[in-house]
Amino acid sequence: MNKTLLSIALFLHASKRYKKSKKFIHGILTDTNNPYKKYVDITIIFLIITSVFILIYEVKNPVPKWLDTYDIYFVSLIFSIEYLLRLWVHNDISEPIVKEYKEALFLQRAFSPFGVLKEGLVEKIKYMFTPSALIDLLAIFPAYRPLRVLRIFVLFRVLKLLRYTKSINQFTEVLSNKKFELLTLLFLLFFIVMTAGIAIYVMEEKTNPNIESLFDALYWALVTISTVGYGDISPVTPEGRTISILVIISGIAMISFATSVIVSAFSEKLSELKENRIIEQVNKSKSFLLVCGYGQMTKMFFRHYGGEYDNYIILENSLERMEQARKDGYDAIHEDASRYETLNKFNTDHCDITILCLTASDVENIYITLNAKSISKNIKVIARASDSSMLSKFKHAGADHILMPNRVANTMIHTAITQPTMYKAIHAILTGKSVARIDEIRAYECEGIIGKSIDELAFKQAKLLFMGIHRRGEFIFNPLHTEIVQDHDILLVMGREISLDYFKSLYVRGV
Amino acid sequence: MFKSILLFGYGTHGKFIAQGLENDGFSVQVVESNEHFYTQAVEDGFKHALKVDVTKDEDLVALNPESYEQLVCVMDDEHLNVFLTLSLRSLFKESYILSISDSIHTTKKLQMAGANKVIDMYEVSANKIHNILNRPIATQLLEEFVVHKNGIGFREYVIPEGSFLHGLMTDDIDLAKYGVLLVGMIDEELGNHFIFITAGLNHKLDSGDTIVCVGKHDELESFEQQITKKEAN
Repeated sequence: MNKTLLSIALFLHASKRYKKSKKFIHGILTDTNNPYKKYVDITIIFLIITSVFILIYEVKNPVPKWLDTYDIYFVSLIFSIEYLLRLWVHNDISEPIVKEYKEALFLQRAFSPFGVLKEGLVEKIKYMFTPSALIDLLAIFPAYRPLRVLRIFVLFRVLKLLRYTKSINQFTEVLSNKKFELLTLLFLLFFIVMTAGIAIYVMEEKTNPNIESLFDALYWALVTISTVGYGDISPVTPEGRTISILVIISGIAMISFATSVIVSAFSEKLSELKENRIIEQVNKSKSFLLVCGYGQMTKMFFRHYGGEYDNYIILENSLERMEQARKDGYDAIHEDASRYETLNKFNTDHCDITILCLTASDVENIYITLNAKSISKNIKVIARASDSSMLSKFKHAGADHILMPNRVANTMIHTAITQPTMYKAIHAILTGKSVARIDEIRAYECEGIIGKSIDELAFKQAKLLFMGIHRRGEFIFNPLHTEIVQDHDILLVMGREISLDYFKSLYVRGV
Repeated sequence: MFKSILLFGYGTHGKFIAQGLENDGFSVQVVESNEHFYTQAVEDGFKHALKVDVTKDEDLVALNPESYEQLVCVMDDEHLNVFLTLSLRSLFKESYILSISDSIHTTKKLQMAGANKVIDMYEVSANKIHNILNRPIATQLLEEFVVHKNGIGFREYVIPEGSFLHGLMTDDIDLAKYGVLLVGMIDEELGNHFIFITAGLNHKLDSGDTIVCVGKHDELESFEQQITKKEAN
């Protein structure tokens, strides 16, 4: 027995495929940043909605056989599979067994897998008793036709929907923050209902024909305190009416109290909820910009190019500036980009992230650069440096591009004085305001040009000026016309945007 | 080619610009009002640097700015810079004034004060970020061209009288054999606008027009010799 368990555990431990598939399943079921999760979610939601619809329709109308089959077998089967998969990926049993085995070998003690096996199973059972797991399990049942009462479990299918709706999760999260207040309120409610119920039972059990048991009395108290007041049971004696008055007054007080607790819970959490929404939104996109700091630089950048970037977030750690950014109409959150937790919220595995460190302080910018690079090397960092003495530090920190506003401005002034004509041209090219600009054509994005010689490419036809090839970090200016374009070449051309688009369209599909 | 420049300010920007211009063979007259920057300028070899209170009109007139081709205002104190630009403009209507702006709000003020050209530090940087994001390689290369790194750069030529380029249409010109590329031109007849070669307009070149080429240093140099000749060879 020990041996079989151990060999299974060792086999699973060694199998890369097992680990990979488990990780994949875990990702699509639970990781909100996983790009495929939404397809799983949509499928399940579709199944739930159709099955609930069928069950409701069935109450009064006969349903076709195939729909019944779909509901009984297909939906339930998928739900069962989902339930089992969730149970499977919740925790790992084989790993602890292997670990235990290795430790036993090391300490030369007798190996027994049952201790860790038990721990693992207990963990799984604990999971089975969590509300969401229970709902998942109960949602499988309605398909069992012989027991009509099981149909009530259709409710659990509706509840299962909650798992797939973010807002409900947030709602419960917000309310759980006010647990103490709400529990106090509940206790108070319970206390008043009990007291009033018992009192009316004692006072009117004999005189009121509608109150036959303590349950009736309690039911009356709850109906009254909630201000619903069906009127099926009403007090008939002056004593009973006095109790009613007290219950009604306390009911009004309690409802307003409950409302205010919930409202204040939300208003406290509102900004956080909003920020999470912005982050979630941006995490869904393929690539986005994180702009750190909302100073002059950022303002200028957004004023000129804000419209061209859809996916971005401004991170600003001063509340005042963050609000200014929001007032100006940009998506900003109040976060410190130099903190690990902040950047870790973003989907670094599945998105191309570019960070612009544009705060006014070099120290801050270097820190953010290091922070970003420590989280993932894939994050691209464009950092602002105040002067050239900082250059080596930023390079060391791993910044991909370093921007020195002073130097850029100085170069521009220098050019404006020494080469006034050139200045106009360069300024026009840099700002992209003019009809022409210098742009790059990446061979891997435009596969049709690979393997062709410069002569064969239709630069003339597209009215583009071909300037050279950037190949493996080196620039070949004005190469021979027989030069063949290679895989990772980047062609430098000058021309109008429409020319460039036209040229790309000629070659993009490998024509 | 050797223009004379009157440079106000030897701070963050002034220092770099003064040295750059000096290296390019310009005659630079540095003017500072700040004691510290003034000493710095003298130490850096600008022996003729002047310490002048730029808020006083008579001191400005004494500098005789009209004898310089360009007045460049790059004082570190942006308020002073705006004031200086305004004073210079009111005193010397004809002078060409170039100013730097260190903040979004200053740019407009400098333009109103009468600067012929304002370079907005944040604007050019914002442009650069945009360019880095969209075309990183091209941006880097273009920058290297501007500062003539790696031996490739831009050069502007005025077409001399009797050059073989005179009378040619821009579409017909092939400068490939000289190893340079024609980027654009300024046509005297059409006002002083810069026209890119790829704008799709076929232009006739005349002597007196300015053309801008890109190429390797020595080839740009030898092309300069070539364009004075009557016939293409």
